[in-house]
Order: sequence, then C-alpha cells, then structure tokens
Amino acid sequence: MLKLNTLGKRYGSRWILRDLNLEVLTGECVALLGPSGCGKSTALRLIAGLEHPDEGGIELEGRSLDGIPAERRRIGMVFQSYALFPHLSVRDNLDLGLKIRGMAPAKRREQIDAVLSTVQLVNEADRRPEQLSGGQRQRVALGRALLRNPSVYLLDEPMSNLDAQLRDELRPELRRLILQGPQPVLYVTHDQQEAMALADRIAVLRNGRIEQIGTPQELYLKPATRFVAGFIGRPQINWLKKTNGACIGIRPEHLRPDENGDRWRLIGREWLGANQLLLMEGAAGQLQMLCSADFQPGEHLGVSWSPKDEHHFDPISEKRLSRS
Amino acid sequence: MNRSRPLWIALLLIWSLLPMLWQLITSLTSSDALVNADIPFQQRWTLAHYRELLSGDPPFWRYLFNSSLVGGLSTLLTLLLAVPAAYGIARMAPASRRTIRTVVGAAALFPYVLLFLALLELAREFQMGNNLLAIALPYAGLALPLALLLLISAFEGLPNELDDAARLEGLGVVDRLRWVLMPLIAPATASTGILVFLFAWNEYPIALTWLSRDDLLTLPVAMARIAGSSIYAVPYGAYAAATVLGSLPLLTLVLLCQRQIVAGLTNGAVKG
Repeated sequence: MLKLNTLGKRYGSRWILRDLNLEVLTGECVALLGPSGCGKSTALRLIAGLEHPDEGGIELEGRSLDGIPAERRRIGMVFQSYALFPHLSVRDNLDLGLKIRGMAPAKRREQIDAVLSTVQLVNEADRRPEQLSGGQRQRVALGRALLRNPSVYLLDEPMSNLDAQLRDELRPELRRLILQGPQPVLYVTHDQQEAMALADRIAVLRNGRIEQIGTPQELYLKPATRFVAGFIGRPQINWLKKTNGACIGIRPEHLRPDENGDRWRLIGREWLGANQLLLMEGAAGQLQMLCSADFQPGEHLGVSWSPKDEHHFDPISEKRLSRS
Repeated sequence: MNRSRPLWIALLLIWSLLPMLWQLITSLTSSDALVNADIPFQQRWTLAHYRELLSGDPPFWRYLFNSSLVGGLSTLLTLLLAVPAAYGIARMAPASRRTIRTVVGAAALFPYVLLFLALLELAREFQMGNNLLAIALPYAGLALPLALLLLISAFEGLPNELDDAARLEGLGVVDRLRWVLMPLIAPATASTGILVFLFAWNEYPIALTWLSRDDLLTLPVAMARIAGSSIYAVPYGAYAAATVLGSLPLLTLVLLCQRQIVAGLTNGAVKG
C-alpha cells in the first residue's frame, strides 16, 4: 500500500503541490488526473525520490520513504518519453539495472528472456531504441519497470506520445502487464477518458490540490466541484445561465429532443458515427446535445431534460450543492 | 551550384593544404637545393634532414615522446576533473548555472601568458621545474575552463529523464556516469580531449621556462632550438622535417577520432 500524507512541494514561495492525501491500496490503480501544470507529475517525482517534499511524507508498505534515495526505492516508473538508454540495445536496456544490482548473468538472462516474451519483443532484443516504433519503445519501458520487481508502479503519461489507435491497442497490454499485478499503481494523465478506462479510482488535481477522489462513476455522476464536472465527461458539460443563485450543468448525453421543451436553434453539428453532436443557441446561451435523430442546421428544435440529471454548484465556492 | 561544388572543395583543400605540402617538400629537399634553384630536379631530394634529426642528441623522437606524455597526461587530468564537474554543474538550477558559466567563460578567455611568470615562481617554490609530470598540472589547469564549457553543454543536451530513469534502476552517481552518461557524451569528450591535447602539444612559454634539460624538452621548445641553432643561417630543411614529424602524431590522433570530433563539434545533443 502506498500512502501520501499531506504531501507538499514548492518552488520558491509558490506551492505546486499541497495537502496531497492519498492511499493507493494493494492491487489498486489510482489515476492522478488534471490539466498540465496541476502538479500531478511532481507528485510522482516526489514518490520516486527524484525530488524532495517540502511538507508531509510518503509511506510504502507501512514504512516511511523519508531519506531513502531514489536508487534504493523499489519503484517501477514509466516516463512519458520512455527514457530508454539510447546507446544500449533493448536487451542491455533491460539488463543494466539487474547488472548493477549484482544478479548472476545466467539468472539475468533468464529473467530478461521472460520479460521480452511478455512484452512481445523477443525479435527486437538486439535493436537500439531508435530502431523501434513508439509502441515498441513503450513496451521496453514497461518491461524495464517489470524487471525492477517494484513495490509500486508509477506511470507518467505513458501513452500520451502514442497515436490514438496505438493507445487503444496498448490499453489491454497495460492492464495485462501491470494493472493486474498486486502492486499499487499510480497513473498520471491529462486524458480523462484514459483515466476512466484504466483506473479504479481517480484523483482530480487542480493547481496542486485534490478537487475530488472517487471511482470513475462517482466523478461522473456526482462531481464535487464545478471544475470536476467540466473536466470529466466528453463532450463537455453544458453550463446554463444561473438560476436561484446556482450554477447548473447538464451533460450533452442527458438532453433529448422534445416538442414541448424550450426552443433552440441548431447552429452546427458533428457526426460521431453512432450519433451526432448538435450545437445549439438559445436564450440561455449555447448548448451541446448528443442525439441520434437527423436535424439540419438552421432548424429550431425543442429540448428537454430530467431535473435529476442537473448538477448544481455554488457560484462562489464552486462546490456541489446537494439537492433533495 | 551543385556541379561546381567539387571544384570549390578542391580549391579550398589546396588553399589549406598547400602550406603543409610546401613543408613536406622543403623537408625532403637538400640544403643546397633550397637556396639554389638551378640544381636539377633529380638531385634535389634527400632524407638527410630526417637523418640529422633522428640521430641528434637527444634524438628527435625523444621530443615526440615528451610531448605525447605531457599531452596525454594533461588531457587525462583535465577530463578526470572536468567530466564530473560538468555533470554537477549541468544539474544545478539555471540561475547558478548561468553564473558559473560566466565565471568559467571569463577564465577561458583570460590570456594565460600573463600567468607564466607567476607559474614559474610556483614551479621554483615547489621544485617542479624539469619535471614532465609536473608540467601537466598547469596545462590541465589552463585547459580546464574551456573543457568545462564544452562538457557542460554536452551534459545539458542529455534529457534529465535519462538520469532519473537510471537512478530508479538503482544506479548511483558513479554508475550513472560510467554506464549511461559517459557513453552518451563520448563524442563531446573526445573532441574536448583533442582540444586539450592540442593545447598541451602547442604550448610554448610555460614549457620554455619550466623545462631546461635537453632530454626533457617538448616539441615547440625543441623546434625553436633547431630554428635558432645557428645565428648565421636558418636550417629550413631540418626545421621543415621537424614540423612534419611533429604533425604526424596529431594527424594520427585526429584521423582515429575523426567521427567523434565531427559529432562532438556538430552536436547540440544526443537524441533521447
């Protein structure tokens, strides 16, 4: 189990991470989700020991990591750039850490061969990283983390350098190789879809602080703040003009065409395949709606939704208003 | 444009290589032929200058050896100090890095000739005169600023994440240098090493004042002695032969490290 206690880091007087309290249980994958610059990568670097916290502490399996240098923390990290050693072949990339740890050559060979076949790179063992495709490099990086036999996995945007198709292919790989293991996994990403797809729980970060921690369903159904409501869910939530002092959000997928509803003018649409995204304009501003029926731009149509799908937020604190 | 390029290259090559060719021809021409253009072509050539040099006392190869020893030692010493220092500096905060770069840059630009009297005093004080190993110390010291600047840039060109990844693989600072960083900055290290070696190979004022025993002279001092051995004549032939012999080790070195030097000079970085 990985436990972060009021973790904080500042550069000069500016806190880039503050009050980070988080537990990642055995076998659990928690995603740190947030826009760039929200401090999520800093959190990983603190856990890895690459930077030192200015506040709070980190516990791994009940022991504090204070004062333990990065070299001696048993951490399997995958970097966004993969950080493979460019002068070494795939095999030597995997071998370096084992060699330094003093493992016997025969045993090293055996372990590397096993990992190579796990990540399906047996035929690429003698190639240099520059001769590999992006997906292959990523698998080498995963293999290197696996070989470390770590107590925790830290994945820093491991898929953001890959194109969409490759990402879809690698997601099951990632699940098979790392997420199904017993180690806690902390997964940093700015892609809410990726976080929803892979993580058991998601911690949404904003300006160095946690906005909300919860399962993907909880974040989607009951966003705790206006920010989370806007960050989770694509296409983005619609914000309606304030009524009775509350900000009201309604998701595009919860709107439906209704003859008796308010009238909106269709000003644009995007075909998504199974349905289309309609962009509408009305007295209360703009609205996006997911809809499978065929409408033409310029048409006026009625829209309605069920009040239970509305999300209400306090306009000042931006916190969720509970509605009975 | 493209068709005339070989021509331009040929012209440039002739322009830069002609003086060396001239030296080579001079070194193979007999002393009489050097001052008398009427001597027929077949009778102009001789190896006498080389014979003279190599059978002198001490023989010329002795100076070559001295210079190689001093050059090699200075280079080794400089790199031993500069590589870890550059690594440390390259990992500092940008503000401190800028300050250090400015100071080191100033040191690199300082005309070292102004120092040689003071250095001579030091040599006398610590009895380091006439000692080939000791002269590598001021050479390394003087070459250090430039070496630092070159190597800091090389380290800065490496992505920090490589260093981080190596740490997480369990590599301490020495292991990281040995297995990850040094191999990646090898081109820069090679070109830096050659520059330091060249400096030591060519250095004159310090060698002139620190070394006086005949068998300990380095090349530049020995060659100056050959050139000034007689007040009545300049021994062009012997001097040219010495130049040719003195260039050979450098030529070999540069040819051996050709690829690294070019890579080191053109690099901003190693691709990550």
